[in-house]
This record gives sequence, C-alpha cells and structure tokens, in this order.
Amino acid sequence: MATAAAAIPHGGGHAEVAARYHDVDPVYAETRDLRLLGFVLFLLSDCILFGAFIFAYIYLRVSAPAWPPFVGGHQLPWFDTSFAAFNSIVLFGSGVTMHFALENWKHLNKRKFNMWLIATIILGIGFLLGQAHEYSVVGISWAGSTMGASFFTLTGMHGFHVFVGVCFLTTLAIQANRGVYTGSKYFGLTAGTLYWHFVDVIWVALFFLFYLW
Amino acid sequence: MTEAAIEKGAALAGALVVGITAVIQLKNDWAARGIDASVTKILLGLMALGCVLALLAAVNVLGARA
Repeated sequence: MATAAAAIPHGGGHAEVAARYHDVDPVYAETRDLRLLGFVLFLLSDCILFGAFIFAYIYLRVSAPAWPPFVGGHQLPWFDTSFAAFNSIVLFGSGVTMHFALENWKHLNKRKFNMWLIATIILGIGFLLGQAHEYSVVGISWAGSTMGASFFTLTGMHGFHVFVGVCFLTTLAIQANRGVYTGSKYFGLTAGTLYWHFVDVIWVALFFLFYLW
Repeated sequence: MTEAAIEKGAALAGALVVGITAVIQLKNDWAARGIDASVTKILLGLMALGCVLALLAAVNVLGARA
C-alpha cells in the first residue's frame, strides 16, 4: 500500500486520484477532490474577510490628513519594524517546516514528520508570544485612533487564525500518531498545510501594510 | 549592539534561510498538478515574497522611518 502510494506521483485528474487511492475507502477516493475544493473555497472566503478589513484600513489611511494620525496634539508612533521583521521570519519559517512535515508524511517518514510538525507548532506559539509582546509595547490602544483600531482588528484577527492553526496542527499531530492517516489517505494533513500557508501569506500583507508602508 | 540591530540581524539571516528554502521547495513542486499543489505553489511563492520584504526591512531599505 505504502509503496504504491509513494510511487505514484501526486497530482490531479480523476483517473490519477482513483489510481492513487485504490487501496483505501472508495468514498474517500471519490470525495477527496470535492473536499479539497471545499477547503480551498473556505480559504478564499477567509481571503475576502481579510480583504474587506485590509481595504478599510487602506481607505482610512489614504484619506487621513497625516499618518500616523495625531491624537491629542501628538503624532502616534510608527510600529517597530525590526521586531516585526524578526517575528515575521518566525512565522514564515513555520510555513517551511510545515511543508517539510507534509513531504515527510508523503514519503512515509513518520519520525521526521513528527519532528517538523512539532517545530511548526512551536514556531506558531512563538509568533503568538511575539505578537503578545508587540501588543504590550506598541504604545497605542484599540480606541481613539483609526491606526490603533485597524492594527488591533487586523493583527488580532490574524492572531486568532494562528491560534486556531496551532490547535488544528496539534489535533493533526495527535490523529497522525493514532493512525487516523495513512500513506495514501491524509487529507487532514493536506488541509492543515494549506491553512498554515494561508495564515503565513495573510501575514505577508499585514507586515507590509502596517510596518513597511 | 542594540536590541533592534540583533532583531534585524536575526531577521536577515532567517529571511535568507527561509526564503531560499521556500524557493527550492517551490522549484521541487513546480511539476506537481492538482488543486492542492497549485494552491501550495501560489502560497509558497507569496511566502518567498514575504521573506524578501523581511530582508529589505532588515537592511533598512523598507520601513526605515526618519
């Protein structure tokens, strides 16, 4: 079973999928593409959610007379770019480790899969701790300015997604080690990887908009 | 050495490692087909772009405020 799965290249097409999943539940084989499409549509809907808030932020920023805005006669400070760059790399690094985890699962190397998946979870938690540190020293609040409201809304929403992702990956780690997934049947791991990459990419946009623009 | 310099140094080194790794993975997966492979390629490419942004921020090309 495992050898056949490893020998057949990963890809699309009903014939290819059917050949690849001939050794598992036929319902799984028939519905995998549909579930994958559903998950990608979920990610697209999340893109629209973030997109709406991002465009609101851009509108508020370009229509402001000065940026950072003045509150009580004082201009608000810029965000700390150097720490954000470091924290961004922590999150992007977790995307690479997650990719390695999935690749090792595909190649049936469970030990390395566990190692990379745990590294991903640790880096995700590290990013969240970094964000908590950022919130504690940022020097602005949610209320009182469009800058603070936009920053905390968008980064908070993203942080919540990262938190959900950490819970998701932890669940996947438990399931994988309990034998829920096999060398040919691992849709949950694929979905988890896509979700984690998505969370990374949303941060690329937020990092640029809040810290570099 | 200031705290900011240490953070930028770590970001620079990390951006190089993670960015190059992401590009190599993208190259390895380039021939793969299917929805998941296509989405992964797009997301890996954007993540590599994020590494470039972090690298430029680390060397003060982007985000340097007067």
